[in-house]
Amino acid sequence: MRHDFLDRYSRLASPVHALPAWLKALATLTLVMAMAVARPSWWPALVVATALLVAGAWLSRIPAGFLLRRLLLLEPVVVVVATLALWQPDGGMRFALLVARSTLSLAALILFTNTTPFGEVLELLRRCRVPSLLVTVLALMYRYVFVLVDEAARLQRARASRAFSRSAARSWRSVASGAGQLFVRSSERAERVFTAMCARGWRP
Amino acid sequence: MAAVNAIEVRDLAFAYADGTPALRGVSFAVAEGECVGIIGPNGAGKSTLLLHLNGVLPETPDGSGAVRVFGAPITKANLYEIRRTVGLLFQDPDDQLLCPTVGEDVAFGPRQLGLGGPELGARVTAALARVGLAGFEARSPHHLSRGEKRRVCLAGLLACESRVLVLDEPTSELDPRGRRGIEALLASIPATMLVATHDLEIVVELCSRVVVLDHGQIVAAGETVALLSDEALMLAHGLERPHVLRHRHPHE
Amino acid sequence: MHVPDGFLSLQTAVGAAAISAVVVGECVRRLHRTLEPRQVPLMGLAATFVFAAQMLNFPVAGGTSGHLLGATLAAVLLGPAAAVLVMIAVLVVQCLVFADGGLLALGANALNMAVIGSLAGGGIYRLVRRLGVGLRGTVTAAAFAAWCSVLLAATACAVELALSDTAPARLVLPAMIGVHAVIGLGEAVITALVLVSIAAIRPELVGGGEPTTHRRTSLVPGGLLLALALAALGAPFASSLPDGLEWVATRFGFEHRAVATAGAPLPDYAVPGIGSPLLATALAGVAGTLLMLGVSYLLGRLLVPSGRRQRSET
Ligand SMILES: Nc1ncnc2c1ncn2[C@@H]1O[C@H](COP(=O)(O)OP(=O)(O)OP(=O)(O)O)[C@@H](O)[C@H]1O
Ligand SMILES: [Mg+2]
Repeated sequence: MRHDFLDRYSRLASPVHALPAWLKALATLTLVMAMAVARPSWWPALVVATALLVAGAWLSRIPAGFLLRRLLLLEPVVVVVATLALWQPDGGMRFALLVARSTLSLAALILFTNTTPFGEVLELLRRCRVPSLLVTVLALMYRYVFVLVDEAARLQRARASRAFSRSAARSWRSVASGAGQLFVRSSERAERVFTAMCARGWRP
Repeated sequence: MAAVNAIEVRDLAFAYADGTPALRGVSFAVAEGECVGIIGPNGAGKSTLLLHLNGVLPETPDGSGAVRVFGAPITKANLYEIRRTVGLLFQDPDDQLLCPTVGEDVAFGPRQLGLGGPELGARVTAALARVGLAGFEARSPHHLSRGEKRRVCLAGLLACESRVLVLDEPTSELDPRGRRGIEALLASIPATMLVATHDLEIVVELCSRVVVLDHGQIVAAGETVALLSDEALMLAHGLERPHVLRHRHPHE
Repeated sequence: MHVPDGFLSLQTAVGAAAISAVVVGECVRRLHRTLEPRQVPLMGLAATFVFAAQMLNFPVAGGTSGHLLGATLAAVLLGPAAAVLVMIAVLVVQCLVFADGGLLALGANALNMAVIGSLAGGGIYRLVRRLGVGLRGTVTAAAFAAWCSVLLAATACAVELALSDTAPARLVLPAMIGVHAVIGLGEAVITALVLVSIAAIRPELVGGGEPTTHRRTSLVPGGLLLALALAALGAPFASSLPDGLEWVATRFGFEHRAVATAGAPLPDYAVPGIGSPLLATALAGVAGTLLMLGVSYLLGRLLVPSGRRQRSET
């Protein structure tokens, strides 16, 4: 299985993709921060943000359906958390504001993640003085996430093909043993990766 | 006095932590510029042997002199020097490719050597071009096919310009064209080479000598064509006479 | 528990991010002193593992399913400081690759799930670990610590939402605590099961985060007390709005729907026969925590048949 669907569009050639990562990150963060302080009376700002995002999405040449699907996938969380506001005075208004703020922030983040390859994000983190240990862990994680998710999917499939029991307890046990195997495999891979890093002249 | 051998292994023994004896008294030598093949069935100890040649096994180099690179025993002090001299291609490309992009990965080795800037970029571009993957710099390893991954690993080695190349199954999982491409590439490299492989055809094409390993021991060593034509020996160790030799006679 | 953007006020988000940053800095400093080189790739792969393990589904009644959070598991396997970085890496990738969890909220999510989740989980684990021996002790302690860490992370999350004025504290605190007391039970069982199955394959991997010396354990004992105190503090809110709790539980539990039906062992968090509601609910919180300790003990006994034969088990 390939995982292009995860970052399928992050390498398109478009004006948005061509912008430097720091600029996109800054723009996203600014928008998200503006949303965090937005009040109902600021509705023109919300309209402007929407317009900016739509323009960005259009310029990015990423199919609108793809972006909308990503948005809808994560939207339920937003709506559920927002229902908390219904208990406050003026609940309906707060609810609407929270959903609007959150959805726009989410859209900005989706646009950012789909127009910026993670390698550039890592470079940005490195330049922002994020501790190099954390950046190394992130880089390794990003590299091996696809390998391991593949392994997890294979384990789950192999388990399903041999699962004859519908007992919940047994199925918890077998999923857990799958997870256990996954950890053992990843720690063994870590050993081999360490070997390979050393062989290629890496010094701690 | 004869010139020092690029690699000299004398009476090397090794057991994994769980007690599996993987090598028992292995001895052989590779002269500078030579290309030697290591063949043998699964589990013979080929990969284990290769891991010893640039000091990743045993975990702390013991300086015993069982493995010598250009005459020098591997010690803690010269470990990085040894790794600079000997480039190692791992059997599983997913272990070796550890950076988020192909370009960074090829640059990983040279960067450890202290290279940077435009010179580094040039080396990466050239190495990728040599393995037929020009323009792959920005790709992510997980988007590559297995054969492409293997070629990226090879590019990573080429970019280091090591004097000795130790290759664990360089042609497995390559399509016929890719295989021929790698074969031609390896043939064009002047470095000393040690190739562990199940691909006997490539051994015939590249290697002047072969070492047959089984159960952690060297069971035969000698000139390639003569050795690979020995039907009985090949069968006894889970191998077979390669097709290219089927119609040749040993002393042709 | 991944808070999206838009729900936290700027002050709360920035404050939480600052705390997380300081803790991460401290963890990195500590790791630079103690980490062996070969643990660097292990941390990367462990982060990958937690990410992948979170995708494994554990079936819950009614066709829904729950999944692992993994902070305590990581702390048990790698030690708390490494676990903090591992969990942060997981959150960063989820945020910056999958847009799961907000960007401005990343600091708060890191504080809840990585910092509090791993440090409380690891701390409580080390504390309780000393009560038992062998794998059974490990499993018991890890299960209890997993429950506490989920609960504490949820409490922190609720506090942040309340501070941001997104929802009133009297609603969101009991709701989050109530729901996560049950979700935490799942986390405890999964953590225990996974540890047992790792120990069956490679026993030496379990307990890798164990300190070689007991020098620093004196820093930790606060863990259990903290859990008890928080339960006692949080519980009063629970009695004030029982309906709200159930209502939010049904909404919140869209992924863990069993919650609504499972119910709390102590109805409405009030102990019958005790006058003061505050005292009663505090007692209920403490009782709940002790009950969980008992459940963990049973879990340990159940999953690790005999303390002696633990290593030869397959
Ligand atoms: N990490 C390890 N721990 C324990 N035993 C191991 C380990 N790696 C390899 N072995 C064992 O050592 C022996 C030699 O393995 P090695 O990988 O060197 O074989 P190989 O000749 O490369 O085989 P193949 O052709 O399948 O690649 C085998 O019996 C194998 O089971
Ligand atoms: Mg091998």
